[in-house]
Order: sequence, then C-alpha cells, then structure tokens
Amino acid sequence: MRLLGNVLVVSIILVVFGFENSALAYLDPGTGSMVLQLLLGGIAGAAVILKLYWRRFVGLFRGHAREESEHSSSEDQK
Amino acid sequence: MSGVQPLPGSFRDPSGNVYQVEGRILRTVNECFSQDFDFVTSTGLLKSLAAEGLLLPFEFVSSDILKLSDPKPRYVLETPRLPFISFPYEWSFSALKAAALLHVRIHLQALEVGVTLSDASAYNIQFQGNHPVFIDHLSFRRYQSGEMWVGHRQFCEQFLNPLLLRAFFGISHNAWYRGTQEGITTGEIRRLLKWRHYWKWNVLTHVVLQDLFQKTSTTHTKSLQDHSLATASFPLSSFKHMLKKMSSWISQLTPLNKGESTWGDYDKTCSYSSIETKSKKQFILEFAQKVQPTLLWDFGCNTGEYSETALEGGARYVVGFDFDQGALDRSYHRASERRLSFQALFMDAANPSPNQGWNGLERESLQSRASADAVFALALVHHLAIARNIPLVQVVNWLISLAPQGVIEFVPKNDPMVQELLSLRQDIFPDYTFENFIALLKEKAVVVKIETVSKSGRMLVWFTRM
Repeated sequence: MRLLGNVLVVSIILVVFGFENSALAYLDPGTGSMVLQLLLGGIAGAAVILKLYWRRFVGLFRGHAREESEHSSSEDQK
Repeated sequence: MSGVQPLPGSFRDPSGNVYQVEGRILRTVNECFSQDFDFVTSTGLLKSLAAEGLLLPFEFVSSDILKLSDPKPRYVLETPRLPFISFPYEWSFSALKAAALLHVRIHLQALEVGVTLSDASAYNIQFQGNHPVFIDHLSFRRYQSGEMWVGHRQFCEQFLNPLLLRAFFGISHNAWYRGTQEGITTGEIRRLLKWRHYWKWNVLTHVVLQDLFQKTSTTHTKSLQDHSLATASFPLSSFKHMLKKMSSWISQLTPLNKGESTWGDYDKTCSYSSIETKSKKQFILEFAQKVQPTLLWDFGCNTGEYSETALEGGARYVVGFDFDQGALDRSYHRASERRLSFQALFMDAANPSPNQGWNGLERESLQSRASADAVFALALVHHLAIARNIPLVQVVNWLISLAPQGVIEFVPKNDPMVQELLSLRQDIFPDYTFENFIALLKEKAVVVKIETVSKSGRMLVWFTRM
C-alpha cells in the first residue's frame, strides 16, 4: 500500500507542475489533500502518467529503464 | 492594540476578529483583507446568501465603537446576536450533517460568482433552532483560477470523518470531537476501516488515498517543494464536481445503530399515562406562560416534547440537552418538522462542556457562554443523584445556579424508573427523599408551586431563586 502511495505521489508530482496558480491561504491544506485533488483534477493528466509508465515499461525491456526515466522526468519539468 | 479585546476564540485568521461590545457582536475586516472583502461584497454573494437565510446578515457600523488604533480595521460589521452559541462536539449527527451540507452548498454558490472559502471550520456554523447558518463573513475571498479546495482536509476532519464514525461504526462523534476540538483526522478514521469499506469510491479517495498521500508525501517533501505543490492547479470543474460529490455522499449518510437508543422512544415507552402527561404539560405550560423565558435550558430534554410545550407557552428559545443520540436525533426532527425555536445538544449533565482550547478560553463552557432565564430538569435528578452518585445537595445547588427559576421533576424511589436504577446495586441513598429534596431547595429558592403528576408520586416543583 505504501509503495502504491509512493508511486502515485511521484506520478502526480510529475504531471502537475505545468499548471500553477498563486493562491495561498492562512490554513495549511495538508499535502495529502492537495495530492488527492491533483489526482482527482488530473484525470486529464492520466494519459501523461500512462505514457510515462509505458516508457518505463518499454525501457525495462530495452535494458536502460533508468535513463528513460530520468529523461522523461527532466522533459516534464521544462 | 488598544481599546476592546477580541473574543478569546477569535485569533486564527489575520483577516479580522470578533468583538462583543455591550452585547453587540462586531466583526472587523482588517486592511490586509479589504481588497478581497470589497470584491466579495461587489459580487452580491453575501447579500443573497443572507436573504436565503444561509449566512448571518450584517451591517457596516463605525469603527469608533471599538477604539482600535493598531491595527485600525478597514470595516466593522455588526451581526445579529444569536440566541445561543453551540459547538460541533455538542451537535447531534443530524445537526452536524446539516452543517456539512450547508458548508458545501455555500461553497458551490460562492464559486459561481468567483468567490471561494478560505477554510472549512465547523465552528463557522451556528444554529437557530435546527436551522444552520454560516457566521464567518471573512471566510469568503476571491477565487483564483486553478486553486484548490484549501479547506478540504479541514472539512474532512471537522465534518466528514465525525459523520463517518457514526455512519460506519455506530460511534457518536461528540466525546472524541470534544477531546480534540478539531475533529477526527483522516488517519484515525482510516485505521478503523474494514476492507469492505475500501471499494466505495468516496472512501477510497477522501479517506484512504488522502491519508496515504499525507503519509507518503512526507518522504517526497523536497520533490513537492521543488514542484511548487502549494501553487499547483486544480480545474474549477473538478473543484465543483468534488463539492457536489461530497454533498451527495454526506446527504446519504445515516447513523448505523439507529435502533440502539435507550431514550429515543422514551415518549412512547415511558411510564406516564396520557392523563399524567397531560397534567405535566399543563404545569409546564403555566410556567412558560407566566415566566416567558427568553432562553430556557431543558436538561434531559429527551425528544423535546416538553421543550415544545414551553415554546407553546411563550418561551422564546429552548436549548435542550441530552446524551442519548436517538433522543437527540428525534429532537432534531421534531424541531425541523414543526419549525421550532428549539435546539437539542449533546451534553452529559454530570460532565457539561468545560472551558477549553487555546489558553483554556477558546471554547467557553456552557455556563460562561450564556445565561438562561429558566431551567427544566424533568426526571433528571435521580439520574444524577442515584445513577451517578452525586450528592443530592450538590444536584439541587447546581440546578439553582443554572437559572433564576425553573421546574424540577422529582422521581421518588418507588417509581419503576428509580427501581430499575437500584435493581443491581445497594441503596446507599437514604437522603434521596422528596422531603429532603424540598428542604434543600428551600435553602436557596422559593417554591412557587408543587404538583403530583403520576401515580407513583412524581412531583413537579416550580422554584424561584432567592
């Protein structure tokens, strides 16, 4: 379960940073709630996650999964 | 800062504070929040919510009344004084549910005009009878494109999780909530879940995944910071959809153990005959007509039958207290169906709400919160004096301290209800007699009227404090 959580959190982080706003409140919303909302709001981003994992999956067979993963991460961060 | 001090519970939000001056309730809007407040008022949202009875109405008044210089507020709002302030740990399941639905409804209406809520505190809602009303005008601020439901976690902790506790496990939220004051954390609720709960999408997302993300995200803190989680985007359509789904889910929640109430059916199963009930009601009616209390406290209110009688007699507002969830829920529905100025709250008379929270002052105790004009303690004394071993003299003095006048019902030892309490224990209450009770009462009060209202010898006593 924890592994699943880790995978999801990383995935969600990877797909959200292109969309930003600057609203901050006096209340701490909690990272759990925020990541959840990114997941719920990011159904459109699901395709990106699937694409990401597909690359990793294919990368496994090519024997250089790590490079693929790093490559895709740095691409997404641009 | 000089001048009047804000109320002790008003310190969390820098946007403004709440003050009480000569019985008037005033809310300041500080300069740092004035732009947001101007925007919100320009949308007309606050007026329309107030017109619908969902938000407490307000008027702008001069800030001179507060004599504040640092910071000098941009605006001062005056709101009507509510008949009684209550806290979510005193609400029944039905009341907490109504408050939750109101919160979501207001948030959805706000989003329609580009406004959002900055928090989701259950303490921002109060009740007038069974009607919930939002009281914090400073929770509204301009919605910025892509922002999240900032109060989601707080909503879950203060509304959703306490409701789930009763709906899934049959445990009422009151004692737990009173202990934490901030509700029940998602992690705590998740640990209680059985596997059968997991397949429900709402549980999976708002409880399981939220908790999982909260825990696992601590190991990704840097990553979250690097990617500006605090400023990440959430589509408005998803925001609204999330609120609607939450509202729909909560509206379907019902208590798990509805049938296990001891007192919920008391008015159907109690030892009174209809004639006895009639004479008891007549006594109550006469008292209410004569006294016309503005605020009446009905301890051990049960399903609110006699509270309703008092309202018929002229009491303006009745707050009932009981610790039986079934009775509270029935009281809530009685108030709903008949639109009564009656509010039933969870309270154990032997352990009433204390002063608590920050500095011991944030949430006031029952007696420091309000003063009742009259009190009822109908068939309550034996529960305190016998079931809880509280000396009779202390019970009598406590009741007299609650209000300057009232009605106490004394149930004698030979009554079946008292016999039941004594059936498995030694009778160590030789002073529990009507004569002794009256003698103790007369030390501090004048007895206005006494009447026998049952065959077993139950006595109603109308007293006025000396």
